[in-house]
Amino acid sequence: MANQKSKPTKDPGTSLGRRTFLKAAAGAVALPYFIPASALGKDGNTAPSSRIVMAGIGIGNMGGGDQGAFLGRGDVQYVAMCDVKKNVCDGSVNRINQKYGNNDCKGYNDFREIMARDDIDAVHCATPDHWHAIIVIEACRNGKDIYCQKPETRTLREGRLMIEAARRYGRVVSGGSQRVLEDYRGTVNACWNGDKGIVKSINVNVGPFPMDCNLKGEPVPDGFDWDRWLGPAPWAPYHPYRCSGSYNINGTSWRSFKDYSGGGMTDWGAHHFGGATFAIDVRELEPEEVIFHNENGKKFATCRYPNGKLLHHNYPGRGNLDVEGTNEKGPSKPVPGYAGSGGIYGDFIDCVKTRRRPFRDIEFAVHTATVCHLFLIAYELERSLKWDTAKQQFVDDDEANRLVDYGRREPWVL
Amino acid sequence: MISKEITEMTLAAGAAAVAAAETDSAAVNKALETLKTYDWGADRNTLNPIDEAIIATHGDAAARKALEKSLVAALAAGISRSAQDYVCRKLRVVGTAQSVEALAALLADETTSHIARYALERIPDEKALDAIRDALPKVSGKLKVGMIGSLGTRRDEKSIMAFSKLLGDSDIQVAKTAAQSLGLIGTSAAAKELSKFAKKAPANMKMPIGDACLVCAEQLLAKGKKSEAVALYKELQGDDQPKRIKVAAMKGMLTAATER
Repeated sequence: MANQKSKPTKDPGTSLGRRTFLKAAAGAVALPYFIPASALGKDGNTAPSSRIVMAGIGIGNMGGGDQGAFLGRGDVQYVAMCDVKKNVCDGSVNRINQKYGNNDCKGYNDFREIMARDDIDAVHCATPDHWHAIIVIEACRNGKDIYCQKPETRTLREGRLMIEAARRYGRVVSGGSQRVLEDYRGTVNACWNGDKGIVKSINVNVGPFPMDCNLKGEPVPDGFDWDRWLGPAPWAPYHPYRCSGSYNINGTSWRSFKDYSGGGMTDWGAHHFGGATFAIDVRELEPEEVIFHNENGKKFATCRYPNGKLLHHNYPGRGNLDVEGTNEKGPSKPVPGYAGSGGIYGDFIDCVKTRRRPFRDIEFAVHTATVCHLFLIAYELERSLKWDTAKQQFVDDDEANRLVDYGRREPWVL
Repeated sequence: MISKEITEMTLAAGAAAVAAAETDSAAVNKALETLKTYDWGADRNTLNPIDEAIIATHGDAAARKALEKSLVAALAAGISRSAQDYVCRKLRVVGTAQSVEALAALLADETTSHIARYALERIPDEKALDAIRDALPKVSGKLKVGMIGSLGTRRDEKSIMAFSKLLGDSDIQVAKTAAQSLGLIGTSAAAKELSKFAKKAPANMKMPIGDACLVCAEQLLAKGKKSEAVALYKELQGDDQPKRIKVAAMKGMLTAATER
């Protein structure tokens, strides 16, 4: 399913769901708070009954940004926020309640309580990567649409399960890289306009690789649910570098470490490989081979797609998003874009309303993450691998297949 | 043009792999010795020779067996939690039946159960599954949930009847995970057990059982067992089913109808 050509279409059998928000809003009127007219749908704003009732999970650096983007929209009404750091959670709740001029938004430590609320239409998730699959699948099971930050997966197995859950329940699930459409327009347009002729290959330069973490433990800060932050990842003692949401990938942030991230290969790779696969129009495909090269100690790798197109990583002498084509004028085709207004966030909200698949539909996002994981495994094992896209297994390589997933820490299962 | 380029790339990559197959045994032995005192805060790089040996011994069964034996010996000798963590991560990649006994010994301990499963869940040998299955009745709560999850991920058909009994467990997490794992196993026998329980499922199990039936039906359909899949979908059309499950089951039936 994941490797078949599929055009974004309207999902059948779904509905926007609940509007118990009205009931909650009616209760709020009785409280001694000033309700801005905008919150009641006057002055040209969207009435509460037409707003998407929303919650956020994981409100650190990226989650705070996501919250700001959605909160600025008149067609969204926040009612719940969740973070395992109490001060972060409280801060995000206060920001929302100040904006709306009431106390209706509630804070949670356990995302499952948000999933259990029938009044919530959609959630956004910006936890560390090792939580994404569990939260996305749980959202789908509970009838919620979800915008998930990139990189959407920590392992190859997670991706297929996320796509299946989205399709099973007819949910709108958007990945979270705005750069795929916005940062590489020149390259994308050149390829889609036919200026490069028949595209043969594209190169991405990105890193670094993730590392193991053996940092010594420190006391867990008050108000920080360390066990829940670790979640499905192996137990480890608390250290601020282990869980810092810093964008550095140098051993001082969770983005640096294998248990929580694929390092720069997935963190920035989600953007670069996303843009590259968009440019050469292989978003609907997964590679069927990754070729590992070691030329005099210079290591690089290449993914080969079923249609013969090549996606290089760190190919010597080639720049980032460098396209190799036949360079005669080829046929052009229209470049897809966002629906609605407001960039990738607006695209998601528009799709929640229309039930269409978003620009960064989970299937496309997973395919990008799959590229990252295939490269990581080839580099880790230092050998070329064949990938069976239908079976989601490496061909004749039991050792590589062990790296397709990991056993999750109880009680988290996938 | 492209296929020629690929052929050249593959040949070059193969030659490089052969050239890289060298192991510095003195460095490996030193790293194995380091494991005895290794703890949180220690320099992770001191263990790199073991990582490198794993790559270098790929395809060399004897060397691999010797390396695995050394890692198992370290684990059995009593090492710190951090060193156990390291060894289990390596056994996840190179472990065979030879590792199972030492890993199984960690399964019932709350502090080590997961990291043992971290290795066992990914070891292809059937003995790894036997170890988890054997440990299942001896644990409860979270540890039981984790083990059910691992066996479900591996689609262990020998666990079907044990999971069926656990569908009625008083620990709701255990019951939910048993349902989820039966769905993942996705065989006719798993479907039968799910279907049987679905008819009497209490309110708090309706959604987990429904979800598991949907997953199971998809797998049956993928295996060409269309009539069994449709039968499962039909059972989810009752008025007592959650609306989301009914809608998803209807969608599943439409998909099945278009399958040949």
